[in-house]
Amino acid sequence: MDKLEYTEAERWLIEPKPGTAAARARDFGVDLSLTVSNLRMTPAERVKRLDDFQHEMRRLRQAVLLAKQNGRTRSGTKAVR
Amino acid sequence: MAELAQGLKLFADFKVDCVVICGVAGGARGSSQVTYDVDVCYSRDSDNLVRLADALRSVNATLRGAPKDLPFLLDEETPRHELNFTFDTDIGSIDILGEVQGVGNYEECLKDSNEFELFDIPCRVISLEKLITAKRSAGRPRDLLALPELEAILEHQRKTGIEEP
Repeated sequence: MDKLEYTEAERWLIEPKPGTAAARARDFGVDLSLTVSNLRMTPAERVKRLDDFQHEMRRLRQAVLLAKQNGRTRSGTKAVR
Repeated sequence: MAELAQGLKLFADFKVDCVVICGVAGGARGSSQVTYDVDVCYSRDSDNLVRLADALRSVNATLRGAPKDLPFLLDEETPRHELNFTFDTDIGSIDILGEVQGVGNYEECLKDSNEFELFDIPCRVISLEKLITAKRSAGRPRDLLALPELEAILEHQRKTGIEEP
């Protein structure tokens, strides 16, 4: 996989200076590379991705519920109740 | 079309004057936090309350978390008597706020908002500064969790002078 190239502006977030909000976010556990990837998109693209993710999560949740209702997981073991 | 899109389209279709806030606004501003509902701050203008109630009735909105047998009439009088509601609807969860803590009412939110085309729908989205103010003021754990990233994005914009694309 190609190494991601960051612009100088993006490095504000990727390599934050001590005492900055970005450094606090990084120390808090925020993955700022995700933030940078979001900031490369337009607001419309960001919300579209959020919507797609939400849609997939709902499908996943429904699949898990269905598996529980059937009493078994896909791997064939008893589902945890 | 998934739920966030349908929620935004609903308000646009019914011409409800509102500003997108909370998770979708954070997402539009660059946050990587996930959200599952559409939150808006709505205008309490009488005509708008009628459109808002029409919109919510069209998707069979019910109070989220309330007992199913709790009598609840959704018309324009409903938001006149209360400010904030959380609904389950046919198109997902929708929260409507008459006032945003730390920011104020619809007019205050509108003053500090930008128009974005989300799903080809023109939407007013609260500014990053006001979103941070609101989350800091609300102070709930989930709001506080979102703050460090939003503050980092705001700092990034200010330091680099890079505005929204």
